[in-house]
Amino acid sequence: MPSNHSSCASIDSLVTPFIDGELNPVDRQLIEQHLSRCGACRSRVAAEQSVHELMQERKTALCHGHAPAILRSRCAAAARFSTAGTKPASASSGNADSAAVGNAVGNAIVGKRVRFGRRAWAWMAPLSAAASLVVIVGGAFLYQATAESSHLLAAELAADHMKCFAMNAVLGTHQSAETVQSSMAAGFGWNMRLPAGAEREGLELVGSRPCLYGEGKIAHIMYRHNGEPLSLFMLPRTVRPEQLVETLGHECAIWSSQDRTFVLVSRESRADVEKLAQYVDVAMR
Amino acid sequence: MPIGRAKKASPDVESRARLAFEAEALASVDSLYRTALRLTRVPADAEDLVQETYLKAFRAADRFQPGTNLRAWLFTILHNTARNRARDRAREGLTVDSEAVDQAADTPSYGLSGPVPTPEALLLREALTPELRAAVDELPDAFRQAVWLRDVEEFSYAEIAEMLNIPVGTVMSRISRGRRMLFDRLQHLNPVHA
Repeated sequence: MPSNHSSCASIDSLVTPFIDGELNPVDRQLIEQHLSRCGACRSRVAAEQSVHELMQERKTALCHGHAPAILRSRCAAAARFSTAGTKPASASSGNADSAAVGNAVGNAIVGKRVRFGRRAWAWMAPLSAAASLVVIVGGAFLYQATAESSHLLAAELAADHMKCFAMNAVLGTHQSAETVQSSMAAGFGWNMRLPAGAEREGLELVGSRPCLYGEGKIAHIMYRHNGEPLSLFMLPRTVRPEQLVETLGHECAIWSSQDRTFVLVSRESRADVEKLAQYVDVAMR
Repeated sequence: MPIGRAKKASPDVESRARLAFEAEALASVDSLYRTALRLTRVPADAEDLVQETYLKAFRAADRFQPGTNLRAWLFTILHNTARNRARDRAREGLTVDSEAVDQAADTPSYGLSGPVPTPEALLLREALTPELRAAVDELPDAFRQAVWLRDVEEFSYAEIAEMLNIPVGTVMSRISRGRRMLFDRLQHLNPVHA
Protein backbone atom coordinates (compact mmCIF):
# COMPACT_ATOMS: atom_id res chain seq x y z
CA MET A 1 0.00 0.00 0.00
CA PRO A 2 1.53 3.29 -1.03
CA SER A 3 -0.43 5.04 1.71
CA ASN A 4 1.81 3.47 4.35
CA HIS A 5 4.70 5.42 2.89
CA SER A 6 2.92 8.66 2.01
CA SER A 7 5.03 11.69 2.83
CA CYS A 8 3.81 14.90 4.44
CA ALA A 9 4.40 16.76 1.17
CA SER A 10 2.36 14.29 -0.84
CA ILE A 11 -0.78 14.91 1.19
CA ASP A 12 -0.43 18.70 1.07
CA SER A 13 -2.96 19.19 -1.69
CA LEU A 14 -5.45 16.87 0.00
CA VAL A 15 -5.71 18.68 3.32
CA THR A 16 -8.14 21.44 2.32
CA PRO A 17 -10.57 19.25 0.35
CA PHE A 18 -10.34 16.73 3.20
CA ILE A 19 -11.48 19.37 5.69
CA ASP A 20 -14.17 20.57 3.30
CA GLY A 21 -15.47 17.02 2.79
CA GLU A 22 -14.68 17.15 -0.92
CA LEU A 23 -12.29 14.18 -1.17
CA ASN A 24 -13.04 10.96 -2.94
CA PRO A 25 -12.97 7.83 -0.71
CA VAL A 26 -9.55 6.69 -1.96
CA ASP A 27 -7.83 9.98 -1.18
CA ARG A 28 -9.69 10.29 2.08
CA GLN A 29 -8.40 6.92 3.18
CA LEU A 30 -4.90 7.92 2.10
CA ILE A 31 -4.87 11.06 4.22
CA GLU A 32 -6.57 9.39 7.19
CA GLN A 33 -3.90 6.71 7.23
CA HIS A 34 -1.18 9.32 7.06
CA LEU A 35 -2.75 11.36 9.87
CA SER A 36 -2.98 8.31 12.10
CA ARG A 37 0.82 8.08 11.97
CA CYS A 38 1.92 11.72 11.68
CA GLY A 39 1.41 14.07 14.61
CA ALA A 40 2.73 17.14 12.77
CA CYS A 41 0.19 16.76 10.01
CA ARG A 42 -2.58 16.06 12.52
CA SER A 43 -1.78 19.41 14.09
CA ARG A 44 -1.82 21.36 10.89
CA VAL A 45 -5.06 19.73 9.80
CA ALA A 46 -6.54 20.51 13.21
CA ALA A 47 -5.48 24.16 12.90
CA GLU A 48 -7.06 24.60 9.50
CA GLN A 49 -10.12 22.67 10.53
CA SER A 50 -10.61 24.81 13.62
CA VAL A 51 -10.64 27.98 11.51
CA HIS A 52 -13.02 26.42 8.99
CA GLU A 53 -15.40 25.41 11.79
CA LEU A 54 -15.10 28.76 13.51
CA MET A 55 -15.94 30.62 10.29
CA GLN A 56 -18.94 28.43 9.65
CA GLU A 57 -20.09 28.70 13.22
CA ARG A 58 -19.88 32.51 13.07
CA LYS A 59 -21.27 32.76 9.58
CA THR A 60 -24.49 34.42 10.73
CA ALA A 61 -22.67 36.88 12.95
CA LEU A 62 -20.12 37.67 10.24
CA CYS A 63 -22.96 38.29 7.82
CA HIS A 64 -24.95 40.58 10.05
CA GLY A 65 -26.24 43.76 8.48
CA HIS A 66 -27.99 44.38 5.21
CA ALA A 67 -27.24 46.32 2.08
CA PRO A 68 -28.36 49.96 2.57
CA ALA A 69 -31.95 50.61 1.41
CA ILE A 70 -30.78 53.15 -1.16
CA LEU A 71 -28.45 50.58 -2.73
CA ARG A 72 -31.31 48.11 -2.91
CA SER A 73 -33.46 50.68 -4.75
CA ARG A 74 -30.65 51.59 -7.09
CA CYS A 75 -30.05 47.98 -8.01
CA ALA A 76 -33.76 47.55 -8.67
CA ALA A 77 -33.64 50.67 -10.83
CA ALA A 78 -30.72 49.11 -12.72
CA ALA A 79 -33.15 46.48 -13.96
CA ARG A 80 -35.43 49.14 -15.42
CA PHE A 81 -32.58 50.95 -17.11
CA SER A 82 -31.09 47.92 -18.73
CA THR A 83 -34.23 46.68 -20.47
CA ALA A 84 -35.88 49.17 -22.79
CA GLY A 85 -33.73 50.24 -25.68
CA THR A 86 -30.36 50.67 -24.04
CA LYS A 87 -27.42 49.19 -25.82
CA PRO A 88 -24.43 47.51 -24.26
CA ALA A 89 -21.47 49.77 -23.64
CA SER A 90 -19.26 47.50 -25.72
CA ALA A 91 -21.37 47.66 -28.87
CA SER A 92 -20.29 50.29 -31.33
CA SER A 93 -23.09 52.65 -32.21
CA GLY A 94 -24.65 52.79 -35.60
CA ASN A 95 -24.18 49.18 -36.64
CA ALA A 96 -26.56 46.27 -36.50
CA ASP A 97 -25.06 45.05 -33.21
CA SER A 98 -26.36 48.08 -31.38
CA ALA A 99 -29.81 46.55 -31.67
CA ALA A 100 -28.68 43.31 -30.06
CA VAL A 101 -29.95 44.16 -26.59
CA GLY A 102 -33.39 45.08 -25.43
CA ASN A 103 -36.91 43.84 -25.83
CA ALA A 104 -39.07 44.09 -28.93
CA VAL A 105 -40.01 47.70 -28.19
CA GLY A 106 -36.42 48.53 -27.46
CA ASN A 107 -35.32 47.08 -30.78
CA ALA A 108 -37.73 49.26 -32.69
CA ILE A 109 -36.49 52.32 -30.83
CA VAL A 110 -32.85 51.46 -31.36
CA GLY A 111 -33.47 51.09 -35.10
CA LYS A 112 -35.08 54.49 -35.28
CA ARG A 113 -32.46 56.05 -33.07
CA VAL A 114 -29.65 54.92 -35.31
CA ARG A 115 -31.36 56.41 -38.36
CA PHE A 116 -32.16 59.75 -36.76
CA GLY A 117 -28.84 59.70 -34.99
CA ARG A 118 -26.82 59.74 -38.16
CA ARG A 119 -28.87 62.49 -39.72
CA ALA A 120 -28.83 64.64 -36.59
CA TRP A 121 -25.13 64.11 -36.09
CA ALA A 122 -24.30 64.95 -39.69
CA TRP A 123 -25.41 68.53 -39.33
CA MET A 124 -25.09 69.10 -35.62
CA ALA A 125 -21.59 67.81 -35.08
CA PRO A 126 -19.74 70.87 -36.38
CA LEU A 127 -21.58 73.12 -33.94
CA SER A 128 -19.65 74.20 -30.92
CA ALA A 129 -21.15 75.17 -27.59
CA ALA A 130 -20.93 78.80 -28.62
CA ALA A 131 -23.00 78.15 -31.72
CA SER A 132 -25.61 76.14 -29.90
CA LEU A 133 -28.09 79.05 -29.86
CA VAL A 134 -28.68 78.32 -33.53
CA VAL A 135 -29.91 74.89 -32.56
CA ILE A 136 -32.27 76.40 -30.01
CA VAL A 137 -33.76 78.69 -32.61
CA GLY A 138 -34.44 75.64 -34.69
CA GLY A 139 -36.20 74.03 -31.73
CA ALA A 140 -39.74 74.92 -32.76
CA PHE A 141 -39.26 73.41 -36.17
CA LEU A 142 -37.85 70.28 -34.72
CA TYR A 143 -40.77 69.70 -32.43
CA GLN A 144 -42.73 67.32 -34.64
CA ALA A 145 -39.67 65.24 -35.22
CA THR A 146 -38.60 65.22 -31.58
CA ALA A 147 -41.98 63.94 -30.54
CA GLU A 148 -41.05 60.81 -32.46
CA SER A 149 -37.38 60.64 -31.80
CA SER A 150 -35.76 60.61 -28.42
CA HIS A 151 -32.49 61.28 -30.14
CA LEU A 152 -33.54 64.70 -31.33
CA LEU A 153 -35.02 65.46 -27.92
CA ALA A 154 -31.68 64.56 -26.41
CA ALA A 155 -29.82 66.68 -28.97
CA GLU A 156 -31.99 69.68 -28.27
CA LEU A 157 -31.67 69.36 -24.51
CA ALA A 158 -27.91 68.77 -24.74
CA ALA A 159 -27.70 72.05 -26.65
CA ASP A 160 -29.88 73.70 -23.99
CA HIS A 161 -27.63 72.28 -21.33
CA MET A 162 -24.56 73.86 -22.97
CA LYS A 163 -26.33 77.16 -23.52
CA CYS A 164 -27.60 77.46 -19.95
CA PHE A 165 -24.24 76.59 -18.43
CA ALA A 166 -22.53 79.09 -20.73
CA MET A 167 -24.97 81.73 -19.48
CA ASN A 168 -24.49 80.62 -15.92
CA ALA A 169 -20.75 81.10 -16.26
CA VAL A 170 -21.50 84.77 -17.05
CA LEU A 171 -24.29 85.35 -14.53
CA GLY A 172 -22.81 83.18 -11.77
CA THR A 173 -26.25 82.20 -10.45
CA HIS A 174 -26.26 79.97 -7.40
CA GLN A 175 -29.59 78.91 -5.92
CA SER A 176 -30.47 76.96 -2.80
CA ALA A 177 -32.50 73.75 -2.85
CA GLU A 178 -35.45 75.61 -1.28
CA THR A 179 -35.42 78.23 -4.06
CA VAL A 180 -35.37 75.56 -6.74
CA GLN A 181 -38.14 73.59 -5.07
CA SER A 182 -40.41 76.59 -4.71
CA SER A 183 -39.83 77.71 -8.31
CA MET A 184 -40.67 74.18 -9.50
CA ALA A 185 -43.89 74.30 -7.48
CA ALA A 186 -44.78 77.78 -8.75
CA GLY A 187 -43.74 77.30 -12.36
CA PHE A 188 -44.80 73.71 -12.97
CA GLY A 189 -47.15 72.78 -10.13
CA TRP A 190 -44.48 70.21 -9.38
CA ASN A 191 -44.14 69.59 -5.66
CA MET A 192 -40.78 67.90 -5.67
CA ARG A 193 -37.93 67.36 -3.28
CA LEU A 194 -34.44 67.54 -4.69
CA PRO A 195 -32.48 64.33 -4.10
CA ALA A 196 -31.35 64.14 -0.51
CA GLY A 197 -27.70 63.33 0.13
CA ALA A 198 -26.76 64.65 -3.30
CA GLU A 199 -23.44 65.95 -1.94
CA ARG A 200 -22.44 62.39 -1.22
CA GLU A 201 -22.88 61.65 -4.91
CA GLY A 202 -20.60 64.58 -5.71
CA LEU A 203 -23.59 66.67 -6.89
CA GLU A 204 -23.57 70.38 -6.24
CA LEU A 205 -26.74 72.31 -7.01
CA VAL A 206 -26.28 75.29 -9.32
CA GLY A 207 -29.86 76.41 -9.84
CA SER A 208 -32.90 76.04 -12.02
CA ARG A 209 -34.47 77.76 -15.02
CA PRO A 210 -37.58 77.32 -17.06
CA CYS A 211 -36.56 76.40 -20.61
CA LEU A 212 -38.62 76.43 -23.77
CA TYR A 213 -39.07 73.16 -25.51
CA GLY A 214 -41.38 72.83 -28.49
CA GLU A 215 -44.51 74.73 -27.61
CA GLY A 216 -44.23 74.33 -23.88
CA LYS A 217 -42.13 75.15 -20.89
CA ILE A 218 -39.90 72.57 -19.28
CA ALA A 219 -37.92 72.62 -16.05
CA HIS A 220 -34.16 72.70 -16.15
CA ILE A 221 -32.29 71.96 -12.93
CA MET A 222 -28.57 72.52 -13.14
CA TYR A 223 -25.94 70.73 -11.12
CA ARG A 224 -22.26 70.26 -11.11
CA HIS A 225 -21.15 66.66 -10.67
CA ASN A 226 -17.56 66.51 -9.47
CA GLY A 227 -17.26 69.97 -10.97
CA GLU A 228 -18.66 69.03 -14.40
CA PRO A 229 -21.94 70.56 -15.65
CA LEU A 230 -24.92 68.23 -15.36
CA SER A 231 -28.53 69.00 -16.24
CA LEU A 232 -31.77 67.42 -15.20
CA PHE A 233 -34.70 68.35 -17.44
CA MET A 234 -38.32 67.63 -16.57
CA LEU A 235 -40.97 67.62 -19.28
CA PRO A 236 -44.48 67.77 -17.79
CA ARG A 237 -47.30 65.59 -19.14
CA THR A 238 -44.98 63.57 -21.35
CA VAL A 239 -44.18 59.88 -21.26
CA ARG A 240 -41.33 58.41 -23.24
CA PRO A 241 -39.62 55.05 -23.37
CA GLU A 242 -36.44 54.76 -21.32
CA GLN A 243 -33.31 55.29 -23.31
CA LEU A 244 -29.71 56.26 -23.10
CA VAL A 245 -28.66 58.39 -26.05
CA GLU A 246 -25.31 59.84 -27.01
CA THR A 247 -25.46 63.18 -28.78
CA LEU A 248 -23.29 66.26 -29.25
CA GLY A 249 -20.62 64.74 -27.05
CA HIS A 250 -23.08 64.24 -24.20
CA GLU A 251 -24.77 61.20 -22.72
CA CYS A 252 -28.51 61.68 -22.16
CA ALA A 253 -30.56 59.35 -19.98
CA ILE A 254 -34.29 59.58 -20.69
CA TRP A 255 -36.93 58.06 -18.46
CA SER A 256 -40.47 58.70 -17.29
CA SER A 257 -42.09 58.60 -13.91
CA GLN A 258 -45.86 59.06 -13.61
CA ASP A 259 -46.70 61.64 -16.30
CA ARG A 260 -43.32 63.35 -16.33
CA THR A 261 -40.34 62.68 -18.49
CA PHE A 262 -36.85 63.28 -17.17
CA VAL A 263 -33.69 63.77 -19.16
CA LEU A 264 -30.30 63.81 -17.50
CA VAL A 265 -27.52 65.31 -19.60
CA SER A 266 -23.80 65.22 -18.93
CA ARG A 267 -20.46 64.78 -20.62
CA GLU A 268 -19.56 61.98 -18.25
CA SER A 269 -19.26 58.33 -19.21
CA ARG A 270 -22.29 56.30 -20.16
CA ALA A 271 -21.93 54.18 -17.02
CA ASP A 272 -21.75 57.27 -14.78
CA VAL A 273 -24.76 58.89 -16.42
CA GLU A 274 -26.72 55.67 -16.07
CA LYS A 275 -25.83 55.48 -12.40
CA LEU A 276 -26.70 59.10 -11.74
CA ALA A 277 -30.01 58.72 -13.56
CA GLN A 278 -30.88 55.76 -11.36
CA TYR A 279 -29.91 57.71 -8.31
CA VAL A 280 -32.04 60.70 -9.29
CA ASP A 281 -34.97 58.52 -10.35
CA VAL A 282 -35.03 56.72 -7.01
CA ALA A 283 -34.24 59.76 -4.88
CA MET A 284 -36.97 61.95 -6.38
CA ARG A 285 -39.83 59.49 -6.01
CA MET B 1 -29.23 35.92 -30.14
CA PRO B 2 -31.60 37.87 -27.91
CA ILE B 3 -33.45 39.38 -30.86
CA GLY B 4 -34.27 35.95 -32.27
CA ARG B 5 -35.48 34.84 -28.89
CA ALA B 6 -37.56 37.98 -28.45
CA LYS B 7 -39.31 37.26 -31.72
CA LYS B 8 -40.14 33.67 -30.84
CA ALA B 9 -41.31 33.99 -27.23
CA SER B 10 -44.49 35.90 -26.56
CA PRO B 11 -43.85 39.26 -24.90
CA ASP B 12 -45.85 38.15 -21.89
CA VAL B 13 -43.80 35.01 -21.25
CA GLU B 14 -40.64 36.95 -21.95
CA SER B 15 -41.42 39.74 -19.51
CA ARG B 16 -42.56 37.32 -16.82
CA ALA B 17 -39.31 35.38 -17.13
CA ARG B 18 -37.43 38.66 -17.03
CA LEU B 19 -39.21 39.75 -13.86
CA ALA B 20 -38.49 36.41 -12.20
CA PHE B 21 -34.84 36.72 -13.17
CA GLU B 22 -34.65 40.25 -11.76
CA ALA B 23 -36.34 39.26 -8.52
CA GLU B 24 -34.04 36.30 -8.02
CA ALA B 25 -30.99 38.40 -8.83
CA LEU B 26 -32.04 41.17 -6.44
CA ALA B 27 -32.43 38.62 -3.63
CA SER B 28 -28.61 38.38 -3.56
CA VAL B 29 -28.03 42.06 -2.88
CA ASP B 30 -27.19 41.49 0.81
CA SER B 31 -24.61 38.79 0.21
CA LEU B 32 -23.10 40.67 -2.73
CA TYR B 33 -22.83 43.79 -0.59
CA ARG B 34 -21.20 41.87 2.28
CA THR B 35 -18.69 40.34 -0.08
CA ALA B 36 -18.07 43.69 -1.78
CA LEU B 37 -17.44 45.17 1.64
CA ARG B 38 -14.84 42.48 2.36
CA LEU B 39 -13.28 43.25 -1.04
CA THR B 40 -13.18 47.03 -0.81
CA ARG B 41 -13.42 47.60 2.96
CA VAL B 42 -15.04 50.95 2.12
CA PRO B 43 -18.87 51.07 2.23
CA ALA B 44 -19.22 53.66 -0.57
CA ASP B 45 -16.93 51.61 -2.85
CA ALA B 46 -18.81 48.44 -1.98
CA GLU B 47 -22.13 50.08 -2.89
CA ASP B 48 -20.68 51.26 -6.17
CA LEU B 49 -19.33 47.83 -6.95
CA VAL B 50 -22.67 46.13 -6.25
CA GLN B 51 -24.58 48.65 -8.32
CA GLU B 52 -22.24 48.19 -11.25
CA THR B 53 -22.56 44.42 -10.85
CA TYR B 54 -26.34 44.63 -11.20
CA LEU B 55 -26.13 46.98 -14.16
CA LYS B 56 -23.85 44.54 -15.95
CA ALA B 57 -25.90 41.54 -14.92
CA PHE B 58 -29.19 42.96 -16.13
CA ARG B 59 -27.62 44.10 -19.34
CA ALA B 60 -26.14 40.66 -19.96
CA ALA B 61 -29.20 38.79 -18.68
CA ASP B 62 -29.58 36.93 -21.97
CA ARG B 63 -26.14 35.39 -21.45
CA PHE B 64 -27.15 33.76 -18.18
CA GLN B 65 -27.81 30.03 -18.54
CA PRO B 66 -31.12 29.24 -16.83
CA GLY B 67 -30.78 26.35 -14.43
CA THR B 68 -27.25 27.32 -13.39
CA ASN B 69 -26.44 29.13 -10.15
CA LEU B 70 -27.55 32.74 -10.57
CA ARG B 71 -25.91 33.76 -7.30
CA ALA B 72 -22.55 32.34 -8.41
CA TRP B 73 -22.95 34.14 -11.75
CA LEU B 74 -23.53 37.45 -9.95
CA PHE B 75 -20.51 36.83 -7.73
CA THR B 76 -18.41 36.20 -10.84
CA ILE B 77 -19.50 39.54 -12.30
CA LEU B 78 -18.79 41.23 -8.96
CA HIS B 79 -15.26 39.85 -8.81
CA ASN B 80 -14.55 40.60 -12.48
CA THR B 81 -15.67 44.18 -11.91
CA ALA B 82 -13.52 44.48 -8.81
CA ARG B 83 -10.52 43.10 -10.71
CA ASN B 84 -11.02 45.58 -13.53
CA ARG B 85 -11.20 48.40 -11.05
CA ALA B 86 -8.05 47.21 -9.31
CA ARG B 87 -6.33 47.11 -12.69
CA ASP B 88 -7.48 50.65 -13.43
CA ARG B 89 -6.21 51.79 -10.05
CA ALA B 90 -2.89 50.08 -10.72
CA ARG B 91 -2.66 51.96 -14.00
CA GLU B 92 -3.21 55.15 -12.08
CA GLY B 93 -0.12 54.32 -10.08
CA LEU B 94 -1.55 52.76 -6.92
CA THR B 95 -0.11 49.42 -5.96
CA VAL B 96 -2.01 46.16 -5.84
CA ASP B 97 -0.59 43.44 -3.65
CA SER B 98 -2.48 40.55 -5.22
CA GLU B 99 0.25 39.57 -7.69
CA ALA B 100 2.84 39.11 -4.98
CA VAL B 101 0.23 37.32 -2.96
CA ASP B 102 -0.42 34.90 -5.83
CA GLN B 103 3.20 33.89 -5.79
CA ALA B 104 3.17 33.48 -2.05
CA ALA B 105 0.11 31.26 -2.38
CA ASP B 106 1.99 28.82 -4.56
CA THR B 107 4.71 28.21 -2.01
CA PRO B 108 4.05 25.45 0.50
CA SER B 109 2.36 26.88 3.54
CA TYR B 110 2.37 24.08 6.04
CA GLY B 111 4.80 23.88 8.84
CA LEU B 112 5.62 27.59 8.83
CA SER B 113 4.42 27.98 12.36
CA GLY B 114 5.55 24.59 13.50
CA PRO B 115 3.32 21.88 14.93
CA VAL B 116 0.12 23.09 16.56
CA PRO B 117 -1.43 21.11 19.39
CA THR B 118 -5.02 20.17 18.73
CA PRO B 119 -6.46 21.28 22.10
CA GLU B 120 -5.19 24.79 21.53
CA ALA B 121 -6.77 24.81 18.14
CA LEU B 122 -10.06 24.19 19.82
CA LEU B 123 -9.58 27.18 22.07
CA LEU B 124 -9.82 29.33 18.95
CA ARG B 125 -13.52 29.34 19.55
CA GLU B 126 -12.99 31.87 22.30
CA ALA B 127 -12.17 34.50 19.72
CA LEU B 128 -14.82 37.20 19.65
CA THR B 129 -16.68 37.83 16.43
CA PRO B 130 -15.33 41.40 16.01
CA GLU B 131 -11.82 39.99 16.46
CA LEU B 132 -12.55 37.34 13.87
CA ARG B 133 -13.94 39.89 11.44
CA ALA B 134 -10.91 42.13 11.94
CA ALA B 135 -8.58 39.18 11.40
CA VAL B 136 -10.41 38.30 8.18
CA ASP B 137 -10.19 41.90 6.99
CA GLU B 138 -6.45 41.94 7.66
CA LEU B 139 -5.79 38.99 5.36
CA PRO B 140 -4.23 39.84 2.00
CA ASP B 141 -6.95 40.19 -0.68
CA ALA B 142 -6.42 36.88 -2.46
CA PHE B 143 -6.61 34.79 0.71
CA ARG B 144 -9.49 36.73 2.21
CA GLN B 145 -11.56 36.31 -0.93
CA ALA B 146 -10.95 32.56 -1.12
CA VAL B 147 -11.69 31.85 2.53
CA TRP B 148 -14.72 34.13 2.55
CA LEU B 149 -16.27 32.64 -0.59
CA ARG B 150 -15.78 29.11 0.71
CA ASP B 151 -16.50 29.30 4.43
CA VAL B 152 -19.08 32.08 4.56
CA GLU B 153 -20.72 32.21 1.14
CA GLU B 154 -20.25 28.43 0.72
CA PHE B 155 -19.44 28.27 -2.96
CA SER B 156 -17.81 25.21 -4.55
CA TYR B 157 -14.11 25.24 -5.51
CA ALA B 158 -15.13 25.31 -9.17
CA GLU B 159 -17.42 28.30 -8.67
CA ILE B 160 -14.73 30.19 -6.77
CA ALA B 161 -12.19 29.35 -9.49
CA GLU B 162 -14.53 30.91 -12.05
CA MET B 163 -15.13 34.00 -9.90
CA LEU B 164 -11.49 34.64 -9.17
CA ASN B 165 -10.34 33.49 -12.60
CA ILE B 166 -7.74 31.09 -11.17
CA PRO B 167 -7.27 27.29 -11.35
CA VAL B 168 -9.09 25.09 -8.83
CA GLY B 169 -5.74 24.02 -7.34
CA THR B 170 -4.90 27.64 -6.60
CA VAL B 171 -8.33 28.12 -5.01
CA MET B 172 -7.58 25.27 -2.61
CA SER B 173 -4.08 26.49 -1.79
CA ARG B 174 -5.39 30.00 -1.11
CA ILE B 175 -8.15 28.71 1.15
CA SER B 176 -5.63 26.58 2.97
CA ARG B 177 -3.09 29.33 3.37
CA GLY B 178 -5.76 31.88 4.30
CA ARG B 179 -7.12 29.64 7.05
CA ARG B 180 -3.62 29.07 8.41
CA MET B 181 -2.97 32.81 8.45
CA LEU B 182 -6.25 33.35 10.28
CA PHE B 183 -5.30 30.67 12.74
CA ASP B 184 -1.99 32.35 13.48
CA ARG B 185 -3.62 35.75 13.90
CA LEU B 186 -6.30 34.45 16.21
CA GLN B 187 -3.73 32.54 18.26
CA HIS B 188 -1.80 35.75 18.80
CA LEU B 189 -4.96 37.44 20.01
CA ASN B 190 -5.13 34.97 22.86
CA PRO B 191 -1.56 34.64 24.12
CA VAL B 192 -2.85 32.93 27.25
CA HIS B 193 -3.71 29.92 25.14
CA ALA B 194 -0.68 29.99 22.90
